[in-house]
Amino acid sequence: MARDSGPFTLYNPWPRIGWWSTGGLLAVAVILGFIVLGREQQNGPTLGTWTAICRALGITADIGPASEPQPPLRTPSRIAWTSATLAQVAGGSAEHGAFVALNCTACHGEQGVSQAGLYPTLAGMDGSAIYKQLDDFRAGKRSWGAMNAIAQALSAQDAADVGAYFASRSNGLPPFVGERFQAGRTLREDNPAIRLAFAGDPARGIPPCAACHGPGDHKLGAPQLKTQQPAYIERQLAAFAQGFRQNDINEQMRTIAAQLTPDEMHVIAEFYGTGAAVAQVAGR
Amino acid sequence: MQNSRNLALWHYWVAFGTFLPAVLLGAWQMLMRSPLPAPLDDPDAYYASVTLHGTAMAYVVTTFFAMGFGYAIAATSLGRPVRGVAAAWIGFFICLIGTVMAVATVLAGKASVLYTFYPPLLASPWYYLGAFLLIGGSMIWVVLMVLNMTAWKHDNPGRPVPLAMFAITATALLWAWAASGVLIELAGILLPRAFGWSDLIDAALGRTLFSVTLHAIVYFWLMPAYIAFYTLVAEAAGGRLYSDTMGRLTFIMFLVFSLPVGMHHLLADPEHGSGFKFLQSFLTFLVALPTLLTVFSISATLEIAGRHRGGRGFLGWIGALPWNEPMVLAVGLSLVMLGLGGFGGLINMSYAMNLMIHNTSWVTAHFHLIFGGTTVIMYFAIAYEMWPRITGKPLRSKRLACWQLWLWFWGMLITTIPWHIAGLMGQPRRIAIFDYSIPLVARTAPLVIISVIGGLVLLVAATLLIIILVRSHLGERVLAQPLRYALAVNPPRQVPAALNGFALWNAILLVTMVVTYGYPIGQFFFLKSHSVPAIEVTSQESAPTGVR
Repeated sequence: MARDSGPFTLYNPWPRIGWWSTGGLLAVAVILGFIVLGREQQNGPTLGTWTAICRALGITADIGPASEPQPPLRTPSRIAWTSATLAQVAGGSAEHGAFVALNCTACHGEQGVSQAGLYPTLAGMDGSAIYKQLDDFRAGKRSWGAMNAIAQALSAQDAADVGAYFASRSNGLPPFVGERFQAGRTLREDNPAIRLAFAGDPARGIPPCAACHGPGDHKLGAPQLKTQQPAYIERQLAAFAQGFRQNDINEQMRTIAAQLTPDEMHVIAEFYGTGAAVAQVAGR
Repeated sequence: MQNSRNLALWHYWVAFGTFLPAVLLGAWQMLMRSPLPAPLDDPDAYYASVTLHGTAMAYVVTTFFAMGFGYAIAATSLGRPVRGVAAAWIGFFICLIGTVMAVATVLAGKASVLYTFYPPLLASPWYYLGAFLLIGGSMIWVVLMVLNMTAWKHDNPGRPVPLAMFAITATALLWAWAASGVLIELAGILLPRAFGWSDLIDAALGRTLFSVTLHAIVYFWLMPAYIAFYTLVAEAAGGRLYSDTMGRLTFIMFLVFSLPVGMHHLLADPEHGSGFKFLQSFLTFLVALPTLLTVFSISATLEIAGRHRGGRGFLGWIGALPWNEPMVLAVGLSLVMLGLGGFGGLINMSYAMNLMIHNTSWVTAHFHLIFGGTTVIMYFAIAYEMWPRITGKPLRSKRLACWQLWLWFWGMLITTIPWHIAGLMGQPRRIAIFDYSIPLVARTAPLVIISVIGGLVLLVAATLLIIILVRSHLGERVLAQPLRYALAVNPPRQVPAALNGFALWNAILLVTMVVTYGYPIGQFFFLKSHSVPAIEVTSQESAPTGVR
């Protein structure tokens, strides 16, 4: 009895039963899964054996080199949030940034606090957002008047520095931290601005603005919007909706803005810009 | 079991001490997602709570319970002191430190990634490190179970290993195989990214590795229940086990069949072709074999006991069974829930039918019924059986224990049956807030409210469990009967070596795993990579200033 324990000796019954039944089951499953069922398609012709096996393995036409010429790849931005990028942004020098920022005053206001609806306030904005937009302007991924030429005159380090400078200003946009996400039952909120900002509209595939842009929550690269120039926010939403602006990495803003009505864009911009509705939410 | 008495007791207390707060969290989650007002109505708290509830129930309660049960079985079934008690205590403290690390990180709100990790979601490295210590520490237990069994075999050549010891060793080996997936995922993918050593995270590879764990872990949870079915029920019912060989075959089949099947958790994932999904889905059906074998075997065992106690006629033996024994009552209730949950499981693992219920509440309801119901009710019964033996104090009282088991049973049915139906109506899982003003969602509101009531009943039952255990623990010491395992109708004098050890079955399992997982895992290294940026649920260190 003690001798029949070897898993590879087939002359006693248990290993034989074990190996043969396992092998048989695997063979049946492989034939069924890879050859018989892999050939069938619900709304198409029956496939050849080779195609069926490739399909069953998960090897489809989009894996490996394509045989036909593909349209050129269009990337919305050159920036990826790798550790190297984040390290450069985090290592920006605010002192040197203050010097670079002298160029911004004419349009973006004294110390980055904009006085005009066309231009966003930069003071207090997250450094990584500024860094990304400057690179997008430099690479032509985003176009606006003089900004492309200005960005081309700046190095990546300059962009990190000026980002660090504006991020350190306390007189502009409020920081992301320090406020709780206004969640709960906001899906049933009557005010459309508050509803869209904090609950979105799942039926139209619109996520809440606040999940990325604050207040209370934040995704990397997204600028905070509270107290931003309302006319600027509304104009950007329209630009995303119409496809003039295309530098959102995952096409999320183009998708969302295309679902918004002009009225909704307006109330969201007012909600974030003037902050009146924010107080209303906080007072709930 | 002198030297292992404290060992078993401490493991059990950690398990049940974690259990009650985790049930409380579960009940609150039920309330939070219902139309009723809930305290602390906040989605962030909800996801942290889901993570804590899952981590506690899936890793902490089960692992500690299985370890304690294993040490108790090794001592009582082999009839000699457990070897390696010092190593066992070291393992206990490693697991405990891991638990504290993981729980503290979730409570700090830095690890709301759910216990299945879901890369590219990324939590604080402390959470992953805690999970790694907890799961890795339990490998000491695995080694000790195997060592104790082989040492006994060496000292008793030619004699069959007692079924209880054979079964717990199968459980330990199953856990080692199952844990390999999650340990490799933690060490190779999640921890390097969490510590910032890499930029990207291969989400698809991570999910595939976790699928190795994800189904077998369920059988790791279930195994103590099956061990009780085979080795404790017959004695409690006053009869004999129908077949010792069927028991051995069952545990061997669970070891072999519960592992190469995990990809049925990935049926909707795009990174795998249809072939391997079908292959593993097909093999999943084989898990029904040991389950059906057990239902037959245990029914036969109970019938033997019933007829021995004077039951007559076609079904008369059922009434003759001692239903006031917690172990007998638990097995009856457990089998009812196994029947309901098992058929639900057949739908989940079917490649085509799965699409109807994928990621709906049906799935959550299913695993609560089969794990929280079938399995956990047997954990209670095992605790009631073991407590007097470990503490030397009688159970206070059997009547209360039966009440507790009934409450848990009804609570579980009231919770999970409406939950299943809500899932069939399309209610998605892992959602903190439902807008019940939408007509489609409003239809599920009454069902969710019934589930909340069930959750409260479960909370009462869990509290009652702790009351019974503490009351018994504080009672007066009396001489307890030693734990006796069920004697088979035909007690084995000699069994084939293949049914007395695991070498053959481990070899078969290894080949099967290579066939079923070799390509699905290997493809990521030579065909395609699914590396993507991680989504950090909480991190203030690795992001620039101002970023939460």
